[in-house]
Amino acid sequence: MWTERENDLLIAVLDELIPANKKVGVPAAGALGVAGFLPTATSYAPDPVGSVKAVLKSIIDKSSDFTMLEGVEKIALLRDVETENAVDFGTLVQLTYMGYYSRPEVRSMFGVGAHAVQPKGYDVPRESDEFMESLTAPVRARGKFFRVV
Amino acid sequence: MKNETVDVLIIGAGASGAAIAWSLLETRMRILCLEQGPHVADKDYPSRDDDYELSRYGKFSCDPNVRGLKQDYPINADDSCITPVNFNAVGGSTINFLGHWPRMKPSDFRTKSLDGVAEDWPVNYAMLAPFYAMNDETTGVSGLGGNPAYPDYTPPLPPIPMGKLGQTLAKGFNKMGWHWWPSDVSILSQDYDGRQKCVNAGTCDLGCAAGAKGGTNFTYWPILENAGVELRTESRVREITVDQSTGFATGVIYHGPDGQVHEQKAELVIVACNGVGTPRLLLNSKSKMFPDGLANRSGMVGKNLMFHPLTGVSGVFNEPMKGHEGPMACSILSQEFYENDPSRDFMRGYGLHSGRSTTPMTYALGGYGVDNPIPWGAQHREVMDNVYPYLAGLTVVAEDLPEEHNRVTLDPDLTDSDGIPAPKITYRLGDNSRKMLKHGEERAKEVLMAAGAKKVLTKGDDDVWWRAGWHQMGTCRMGNDPKKSIVNSWGRSHDVKNLFIVDGSIFVTAGAVNPTSTIQALSLYIGDSIKNNIETLFD
Repeated sequence: MWTERENDLLIAVLDELIPANKKVGVPAAGALGVAGFLPTATSYAPDPVGSVKAVLKSIIDKSSDFTMLEGVEKIALLRDVETENAVDFGTLVQLTYMGYYSRPEVRSMFGVGAHAVQPKGYDVPRESDEFMESLTAPVRARGKFFRVV
Repeated sequence: MKNETVDVLIIGAGASGAAIAWSLLETRMRILCLEQGPHVADKDYPSRDDDYELSRYGKFSCDPNVRGLKQDYPINADDSCITPVNFNAVGGSTINFLGHWPRMKPSDFRTKSLDGVAEDWPVNYAMLAPFYAMNDETTGVSGLGGNPAYPDYTPPLPPIPMGKLGQTLAKGFNKMGWHWWPSDVSILSQDYDGRQKCVNAGTCDLGCAAGAKGGTNFTYWPILENAGVELRTESRVREITVDQSTGFATGVIYHGPDGQVHEQKAELVIVACNGVGTPRLLLNSKSKMFPDGLANRSGMVGKNLMFHPLTGVSGVFNEPMKGHEGPMACSILSQEFYENDPSRDFMRGYGLHSGRSTTPMTYALGGYGVDNPIPWGAQHREVMDNVYPYLAGLTVVAEDLPEEHNRVTLDPDLTDSDGIPAPKITYRLGDNSRKMLKHGEERAKEVLMAAGAKKVLTKGDDDVWWRAGWHQMGTCRMGNDPKKSIVNSWGRSHDVKNLFIVDGSIFVTAGAVNPTSTIQALSLYIGDSIKNNIETLFD
């Protein structure tokens, strides 16, 4: 799919697109393995591998070793590539988000269940009649609220 | 029965086709329904998958141009700021609709008389009220009776949970002294009629595998098929045929699952393909007698297309709102600004709908119906960690006014997989709608702050949601004047006496509420009218 050099570069790029939050243990996209998702994403982009390779080539053209750049330099370079090749870069961003957030363990880091939502769903208790009576009281107190035709 | 003449041929197995078939069951007429899509088994719904969110961008996208399945027809929306969305299967778009179920209001049927805009309907709220109630019973509707924004009625089931998000917003509306009410929803708050109550999965758009959402695949169709209504799936109608001497519809030509073209004769043809599919079919049904399309002597087929233009405003609160828990579009609804107010700079009004927030992938990609991903890099981390979990939002749902230049035509080049010309949408957001959305956006900001938001987020531009074309109305409207409308007050074509239309295309105005409840009430009303007029049906 891609060379070892391209793979290392791709992981470094993905880590910039979605960085880690080490304080709460949220991994970056490259570290999570999103690179493996990209070639499988043909249902969501016409040519995901082509788009990724185009972005990587643009980066290599600008820097012989992206991985050795300082953080701010990496961001600046990626901004340049985004401007020059908006379509392929946009595809990479979109697919990165898909690959990252489709991982059940990632969802749970944002308070959303890791489980498939059917059949278990979520336990949300229904408000009591008394609570609803109280909450709707100001609305009901205004009386009928539509034009009689 | 196959290929024999049937009494009633219904085209489309979605919301309206199912409802009228149910209404006509008692006549014991032979009823056949042709549906271009397949049965989709609930075990195949993506909400059962670990990576369920991905399907929103592929096989279960609401956008037929994204899904691109065999049963889908492409839609050219290049000349529109809103693209139509739908689903093609038994159940139609009720498979992936969100189940919000407000009724239209009495004034919605009298906009010309009351406010001097658009046209009055040839029916009114009181005429439809019994059919709203009948449909609510069959569908299983949850809600709280006593809403002062409507004439009295009580949904058959108690309301679904509002949750923390809904409660928070309701308190904000109370602080402002504005109307709000728990949403009526076609989602079960209790087990009902052999169906399981909602499990609050939050993925109504991916098909309700619990059967709690009132898709007609769970409500009407099991009854209909048990009662002997014939349903032919993967059968796409190419055109409605007409006897050139009598001007009566004789049946249809359709493409079957065997890849062959078939003819089906019928005494009565009912079109139920909604506001884009129905005008497309009529415009594709040309003959010497109807050179501009069937039932189109007025030239009005396809014109006056109305959507509900939407925009959204979100508040960032101090605590997680758990917005992904519960039916995704349904919590509370405010109609404070629904009725016309001459002091405003626009006519008619809008609703403020509190949906719930969505799942992380969909939010990161721009939100439901929007293709505008959030930033990458450090900003991405900030938004997902410190904004996303704390969001509660309001959607401004504007009443679109009918304008003839907004229309459905046939695309000269684009076709579906059977070679049938595809629809082209020409739609421009009216100034009235634009002003209405702006007004709504400002009011939404106020109420979110009153509810305790520490920050309010808007899109920051005038664009409306792209994939907001759920509600497709007005393209074959009802009316008493054959020069200005396609069907009469009970859905019968002015031009073709045995042709009926029962879907959202016959709406005269759009209201500012989700239309499915009204579509089905209208369909039941038309079914009742057919039964009441059976002896003189074709006079």
